[in-house]
Amino acid sequence: MAEPDNIKSITLPDSDLVKKLQKTTTPVSINFELTARCNNNCRHCFINLPQNDRNAESSELSIKEIENLADQAVEKGVLWCLITGGEPLLRNDFSEIYLMLRRKGLLVSVFTNACLINQSHIDLFKKYKPRELEVTVYGIAEKTYEKVTGIKGSYKQFRAGLDLLLSNNVPVSLKAMAIHSNVHEIEEIAEFCTKYSKKKFKFDPFLHKRYDQDAKRNKLIESERLTKDEIVRIEHNNFARKNALIEGCEHLIFDQDIDSLGRVFTCGILKSGFEISYDGKLRLCSSLLHPDYVRDLRQMSLMDAYNGIAKNVINARSDNKEFLNKCSKCKIINLCYFCPANSYLETGKLDIPVDYFCKNAHARQEAILEWKKSSELP
Amino acid sequence: MINIKYYHNKDVIVREIEGEYLMIPIASGIGDMEDEMYTLNETGIAVWEKLSPEKTLENIINELCEEYSADRNEIETDVIGLIDELYKRNIVLYKK
Repeated sequence: MAEPDNIKSITLPDSDLVKKLQKTTTPVSINFELTARCNNNCRHCFINLPQNDRNAESSELSIKEIENLADQAVEKGVLWCLITGGEPLLRNDFSEIYLMLRRKGLLVSVFTNACLINQSHIDLFKKYKPRELEVTVYGIAEKTYEKVTGIKGSYKQFRAGLDLLLSNNVPVSLKAMAIHSNVHEIEEIAEFCTKYSKKKFKFDPFLHKRYDQDAKRNKLIESERLTKDEIVRIEHNNFARKNALIEGCEHLIFDQDIDSLGRVFTCGILKSGFEISYDGKLRLCSSLLHPDYVRDLRQMSLMDAYNGIAKNVINARSDNKEFLNKCSKCKIINLCYFCPANSYLETGKLDIPVDYFCKNAHARQEAILEWKKSSELP
Repeated sequence: MINIKYYHNKDVIVREIEGEYLMIPIASGIGDMEDEMYTLNETGIAVWEKLSPEKTLENIINELCEEYSADRNEIETDVIGLIDELYKRNIVLYKK
């Protein structure tokens, strides 16, 4: 359609607006973890609480509190919003919250397991399309799926929910966690996801520990973690993943050691997003739970909370020699699952190297360099 | 056309971000391409802000003529051109 000078259509992400937003110093996205409760009980999950956990439910942010936080974020120019959980569809007021956030002019994405999708969600998503609707596929066989979720009947619910979305042309992006309980069928999962997904299938083999530090559940997470050889194998077997790693090689494996000047945080945490927990805590990374980097939004404004955390992030320095001699200068840190948040979840401190992450990163480095070499052969 | 009263579609949210005046469609049937939104220039904003179910386009053109020193024909052409585009895209509706 031809356009007069005074109106112009733009599409993200290639617009000048996105370039401007990338240069801002504060986050441009807000993520609402609507609930920690879930209808599934996945073995590898870092957050799930039982769906009937009344304690957790009673501390969830109300729609009014969420609206107030969204208003503050919109005022600061935030454009993107993610609704996640737990399982966000467990909230009886999910649709009202979703629509309220859309009406603020936020581009809203939703993460769900799809088990609870019903016709009213379909009507909502058809009329008010989410930017992304991401569904995790835990297995293709009923037995595998339910081994992961721990809930009998969950596979049928998932397939019914997904079918309802697809048959109503609601686009979904499918993804997977690669864990011991489903790694034997990860290639079938990839094939299934590629067939039905709007976007390229992606999988994640990196499991972090629980927010509630439940020791028994953390053991279960450890038991679901793939070995370094398994991670290398599934990355090798996934053409897109392998190619991306080869192509991104120079950003993942530097030629020489880096110098982080003892800084604890070298990631883009200050820009990554406002992460709002179900009970109203602000974090700048969803897994960064160290109390110096968490603020209670029931006690202060979004920007006061952000500024308080940001100050601590900027000033954080390590005096741990092991960290300073290893992670702080590591040339494959971008390949590693190590970060202060994950270090804290593993060790209770922000700057302790984690052997499991380190071994994985080195195995992946070796594999990627070999793949790269082979790809360059005439 | 200039006797018609046009008003904003409530399913288009207008926000100013980083100096850009953004029109963000939230419902199907408006800007259906993924991540599609619209920006308005200064003239577009002036017209958009005057739209109301209580005002005809003629009212709006009269107001703009009082506020700006441009030629009436030029203003009228601009306003009609813009409204035509906005209406085609479902961004404005009109009062029957």
